[in-house]
Amino acid sequence: MHKEIADYLNGVVSGANAKALEAEAGDSSVLVASEHILKVCQALKDSEDHQYNVLQTISGVDYPEGVGEDKTPVIEVNYMIASFIKNTEIILKVRVPRGDDENLPKVESVCSVWKSADWQERECYDLLGVEFVNHPDHRRILNPYDWKGHPLRKDYKAQEVYQGMTVYPEDKQNIPEQDFVVEQNRLNDEAKAAAKKAREEAKKDN
Amino acid sequence: MDSTENSGNGNGQNKYGGEKLKSELLTVNMGPQHPATHGVLRVEIKTDSEVVAEAIPHIGYLHRCFEKHCENIDYRGNLPFCDRMDYLAAMHMELGYCLAVEKMIGTEIPRRAEYIRVMISELQRIASHLLFTGVYAIDLGAFTPFLYCFDQREKILRLFEEISGARLLYNYIWIGGVWNDITDSQLSRIKEFCEGILVELDKYMDLVGQNKIFVERTANIGVMTPEMCYNYGATGPVLRGSGVDWDLRKKRPYSIYEELDFDVPVGEGLKGTVGDCWDRFAVRQQEMRESVKIIKQCLDGIEEGPIMGKVPKVLKLPKGEIYMRTECARGELGYHIVSDGGKVPYRVKAKSSCFTHTSMLGEAAPGLLIADFVAVIGSIDIVLGEVDR
Repeated sequence: MHKEIADYLNGVVSGANAKALEAEAGDSSVLVASEHILKVCQALKDSEDHQYNVLQTISGVDYPEGVGEDKTPVIEVNYMIASFIKNTEIILKVRVPRGDDENLPKVESVCSVWKSADWQERECYDLLGVEFVNHPDHRRILNPYDWKGHPLRKDYKAQEVYQGMTVYPEDKQNIPEQDFVVEQNRLNDEAKAAAKKAREEAKKDN
Repeated sequence: MDSTENSGNGNGQNKYGGEKLKSELLTVNMGPQHPATHGVLRVEIKTDSEVVAEAIPHIGYLHRCFEKHCENIDYRGNLPFCDRMDYLAAMHMELGYCLAVEKMIGTEIPRRAEYIRVMISELQRIASHLLFTGVYAIDLGAFTPFLYCFDQREKILRLFEEISGARLLYNYIWIGGVWNDITDSQLSRIKEFCEGILVELDKYMDLVGQNKIFVERTANIGVMTPEMCYNYGATGPVLRGSGVDWDLRKKRPYSIYEELDFDVPVGEGLKGTVGDCWDRFAVRQQEMRESVKIIKQCLDGIEEGPIMGKVPKVLKLPKGEIYMRTECARGELGYHIVSDGGKVPYRVKAKSSCFTHTSMLGEAAPGLLIADFVAVIGSIDIVLGEVDR
């Protein structure tokens, strides 16, 4: 099925470069060139055979070390598209270079195809820092509008101060379990040594 | 000052004349602390007198970084976090996550566990819809139905407390099966409940659904067409309320739903237009009856046997990704799990139906009275825990 869709897309959208990724475990998907995502989505929605009329969600995944053989850092944007008429679903993927805070990766918005893309793209921008070109309302959605950074990136570090408040102050941090055990052992050892010393001193006095 | 302006006899113009009055839109903030928004939702409403001209929902007040947490905790450890998304239908959240993981590792679930899972999740659906019925009536100014509904919901919660140890956040459905077996006396209590609830449902329909005031407040209000639902990706009772026959339990069956016999209620526009608030209410009432039907079949079919399948102690998923959808009380929940072959998920994305439905408020609102807008928010039955995750 994925092969057919890839062939269909290559036929309709020139330069789509669609490729079916057959998975050994889990779901297979179709990878397309990121420049043509809008045309690809429009083609999938309009086609008589497929009629993908619902965009369910957009899920971004960060790969700072590249995918598989290819070691270029990328962000993968997954479009979960379904047809409620034909009862089919498909994962459509694009990969864009990861970029940095000043130079966010850019993908064309698909809001003109499905309105659900509006909020889903905002979420993807908020959490992974993918900029959607031609989005009607490009703002953050889950984080505060003046938040810095994109939390679901693998190298994300929370800003230290937000509106005069310390983010994640030291006294509120959980001690990792291992450190906790080490700390307990150290305290026990100290207590034992102190007790031993006290005993010895008591002996000496006698 | 121009004397004719004040006299009122010149061309019908005085200082209170239409040209001098301001007619700007007034911005009203509804929420984040507002009883009618069912949690911490803020809707910025631009009002033209009593009429909503524009509504902009702002979410994120209950964002608890579910997806980021999942990237740091192993597969079993993530289960309690799933509960906390939709805390009114926690069993459904767990079920979706477990099904996704099980599909990846290819575990076979014992029959008894499957029956328990289906039975529990249908009971959860009833509990969730009962809460909706009561709270929706409160939104529209009727207090008594709330007490009736909570009386019945309490019976389900007591039962859940007995079998899982908790009233709301259960951590009961585990990867490979369920945590605890169900006893015969509990089964007979479920049977008793099923008989009782059918009578109660009739009562609610007479008390609330057919009530003149309720019908006036909900019929023809907030109509959502099937095209709009598809466009926004709406699912669950909202989509079915618009007259679309779409239920994942029928269309893409998971667990043992294939073997069970039940109908999918859709909105028919009995009191007004198809897809209005009353239809969404009525669909949920019908769904509870269908759930009772399913539970009864499970009670007849349940088999003796183990309740946990074989799952490796150190759980590692093969490299790959999966997108698993289940039909929850409020719509479709999808988990996109990406694994790099390790003990910890590489990425977990939860597709929440409430998130999708909240995004529809902006389009449904214009032209409604503020009080009717409250009826629309109530009718899509959102839980902000799931919206913000």
